[in-house]
Amino acid sequence: MKARISSLLFFAALLAVWEVFCRVSSVPALVLPPPSSVLATLWSEIVSGRLWPHLGVTAIEAVLGLVVGALVGIAGGILLSESAFLRQLLGPYILASQVVPKLALGPLFIVWFGFGLTPTIVITALICFFPLLENTLTGLESTEPSKKELFRMLGASRAQTLLRLKLPGALPVMMAGLRIAAVLALVGAVVGEFIGGRAGLGASIMAAQSIMDTSLIFALFVVITALGIVLYQAVCLLQRIVLRRYPQA
Amino acid sequence: MSTDPALRPFVAIDDVHYRYGDGPAIVDGVDLTVQRGEIHCLLGRSGCGKTTLLKLAAGLVLPDDGSVSIGGEALRQPGQHISFVFQTPTLLDWLTVLDNVLLPITLKRRPGAGDRAAAADLLERVGLSDYARHRPFELSGGQRSRVAVARALIGDPVLLLLDEPFAALDALTREDLQDDLLRLCTRTGMTVLFVTHDIAEAVYLGDKISVMSAGRLIDTRDVALPRPRHRDMRYAPGFGELCRQVREVMDVAAGPHASRRHAG
Repeated sequence: MKARISSLLFFAALLAVWEVFCRVSSVPALVLPPPSSVLATLWSEIVSGRLWPHLGVTAIEAVLGLVVGALVGIAGGILLSESAFLRQLLGPYILASQVVPKLALGPLFIVWFGFGLTPTIVITALICFFPLLENTLTGLESTEPSKKELFRMLGASRAQTLLRLKLPGALPVMMAGLRIAAVLALVGAVVGEFIGGRAGLGASIMAAQSIMDTSLIFALFVVITALGIVLYQAVCLLQRIVLRRYPQA
Repeated sequence: MSTDPALRPFVAIDDVHYRYGDGPAIVDGVDLTVQRGEIHCLLGRSGCGKTTLLKLAAGLVLPDDGSVSIGGEALRQPGQHISFVFQTPTLLDWLTVLDNVLLPITLKRRPGAGDRAAAADLLERVGLSDYARHRPFELSGGQRSRVAVARALIGDPVLLLLDEPFAALDALTREDLQDDLLRLCTRTGMTVLFVTHDIAEAVYLGDKISVMSAGRLIDTRDVALPRPRHRDMRYAPGFGELCRQVREVMDVAAGPHASRRHAG
């Protein structure tokens, strides 16, 4: 509690320093608007209703990208874990898919999928799937050998060993991957909108930049940060529910 | 080997060889027999190959040469009515204690009321009936080992294989668990092959002790202690003498310097 209060006080002090600096220095508001101006812009966006559709679009893109990326990542992790052949065959291509700058694929995705939600969701999913794939693979591979031998002794089939031993055992590591992916999902959605979005918080930032409205850019940063925290906390809540039967770290 | 089924050994390990890849022989020409209902302890220092021999008896690994048969039938895969207790309890953290005990059943079919009653009965026999709804991480090390033993006994296996199951426990808890195991085995008349590096544990539990060194069996002897065993026996002169004799066998196998080493 004390740490939380200290953290809030630190944030308030930062805002105060920022506000004073903007008022006493000759830095133009176009370069660095004071927090009071940012808050006023944010409030105006909220009450005018202009913010909500963009917030909704970005939230949908982030969540759908996260869900699609997570499902593909988990499925890929299971396949690679169960088949050494697939691991050798696909491993280099999966790594290449992560090494290539995904944002550079944005223009290509616009050609393929057109403008709108789809290319941004695809970019977000591409960013999100890797932590899930890696963590699913790591979790499944770290099943204790003696537990695998136990399942062999008990005559368990391969599917039973996967579903009743390996996957439940890997779940904590997979949830850690989902937490990382949740943070990356918002980055993917916003930056994807930079490239081809017509709506959403990223597209709004590009629009604000074109009219040199720096206060609005900062206000949108605040909204993106809040959305990121909400998304992350939602995944943490999901983790608590999913892992309620597991020892708490 | 006798052709009379009554006299034929229940577990027959015949000239078994095993090595990992191109490495040295881990099990090097072992012959071992265990009679039905016998508790046979396999004793040896770390790395002597006793765990591998136990896995050969379980069908978890297959011999490069030689044969393993259980109840007269050659073993070519993990045996259906063989239970194995590992060095660590290998419990599933996300299941309750009761569901862990029922695991061998639930992997085959939906457990019935009889199965649940049998699991509850086993938990009561190992003193854990109040912990059926707990999860393994809420239990002590000794309690987890008890759950592992209870899980191994559900479904009435014909052969119980144990790989140093109590090695990580403190001495007093280990003695309690040894008594629990003896009580449960006596009740069912089960055949047991018990791997340990603890001489006193082998003497206390076993009807027979086989000593293993460098992949070979170097000695097999009967334990001339009456049954039922009780903890006072541990302090009787005969018990100490048996331990000393077994120790000598192990020291001879380890080389001329082993018996001269002393603490301090």
